[in-house]
Amino acid sequence: MKGKCYIQGTAAISPQPTFEGDIFQAPLVHTDSNLLACIEPDYKPFIPGNSLRRMTRTLKMGLTAALKCIQDSGISTPGPIITGTGKGSLQDTEKFIKEIVEYKETALNPTPFIQSTYNSVNGLIALQQKCTAYNNTFVHRGFSFENALLDSIMMIQEGASHTLTGAFEEITKEHFYIKSRIGCWKSAPVNSQEVYQHLSPGTIAGEGAAFFTLTGAATPESYAAISGFRMLYKPSEEKLATALRNFSEGADLIICGRNGDSNHEHYYDVLDACFPGVPQLPFKHLCGEYDTAGAFGLWLGAQILKAQQLPASWFPMQDQLTAPVHSILFYNHFFGEQHVMLQLERV
Amino acid sequence: MEELKKKLKEQIIEALNLQDTKPEDIDDNAPLFGEGLGLDSIDSLELMVLLERQYHIKVEDPREGRKILQSVQSMAEFITSKQPA
Repeated sequence: MKGKCYIQGTAAISPQPTFEGDIFQAPLVHTDSNLLACIEPDYKPFIPGNSLRRMTRTLKMGLTAALKCIQDSGISTPGPIITGTGKGSLQDTEKFIKEIVEYKETALNPTPFIQSTYNSVNGLIALQQKCTAYNNTFVHRGFSFENALLDSIMMIQEGASHTLTGAFEEITKEHFYIKSRIGCWKSAPVNSQEVYQHLSPGTIAGEGAAFFTLTGAATPESYAAISGFRMLYKPSEEKLATALRNFSEGADLIICGRNGDSNHEHYYDVLDACFPGVPQLPFKHLCGEYDTAGAFGLWLGAQILKAQQLPASWFPMQDQLTAPVHSILFYNHFFGEQHVMLQLERV
Repeated sequence: MEELKKKLKEQIIEALNLQDTKPEDIDDNAPLFGEGLGLDSIDSLELMVLLERQYHIKVEDPREGRKILQSVQSMAEFITSKQPA
């Protein structure tokens, strides 16, 4: 990566109480349903009632997380808005498809169709913020958020003062069922806080929205710097090890996407071998698995680097930090296909 | 007609997800768009779909639609006029 970019503001809506309050005192939310659903905030302070009535969950979560992120960064109007989503608004997509069948392709409501398009959240942010700058949504399965991040980093390197970058994903009953049929989730109910001890095929489902305001210059309020970034598609273990070793310089902590899925655990064994003795924080017991879970991992890393502490209840397996964390290596993959490495630094 | 208007108000609230509105809050003659309920152009499409789904009436001419969707009263009159005698 040529230069660094800085996380100036951030916000997340997730299955944990991440949107409001002190996350370092927050309890751990867990489930034994193999599905971690988001804790939704009160949307009314962020979205006018007349708009809210039409929106489904992802849209509300995405828009609200974006608006809170803008507030947090202190920037009045965002510049480029760049997001990633693997599936977009599933609720709207499902409603639209069901109505096509039910009403035999006639008398279809326009709203679910309009909102089922992936770039709806971006459009809503731009409309509400009166933002006419570059606006793009990446839909690349497990690389969706990462491509949005890459686009943002390139924008900043080309001179943009800041970008609003984020990801949003939802899980529905139907989608959970479809993915269970192809073996994505564990066949028996598992307590989410014990998911790493249940090494078997499949993992637990999740969802969430996380946004970041990225800037080209650091300020005293910056959360973290992104100084390294690599994406690999279906790498061999050798190729993965080589790529990981390029990030070996001074990582004090590793945040990883380990998720108890025995089909793809061997990639995390490569990580263990490359970084013996470096403490690891797996995060999937907090948010579950989904296409853009990497955005939650980045949000978590940024929070830890800024506060220099761990949310204690979320990581009972890890002692509190005894030395400053200057650098975090983030590694995640989506069902063994899309692999991402990020280097985060303390500002 | 009164029964139809009451039913229509309930259907409008449900179709447009007007969470804080009750049927009795909607005046028969109050404009649905702009002032009144403050609906917008997407809502007008939703109301066209409502007429098609619930009353099997398809409004082909958008100019006609504007008149029909003026108020609950105008919608009820239109529905009544289309029903077999």
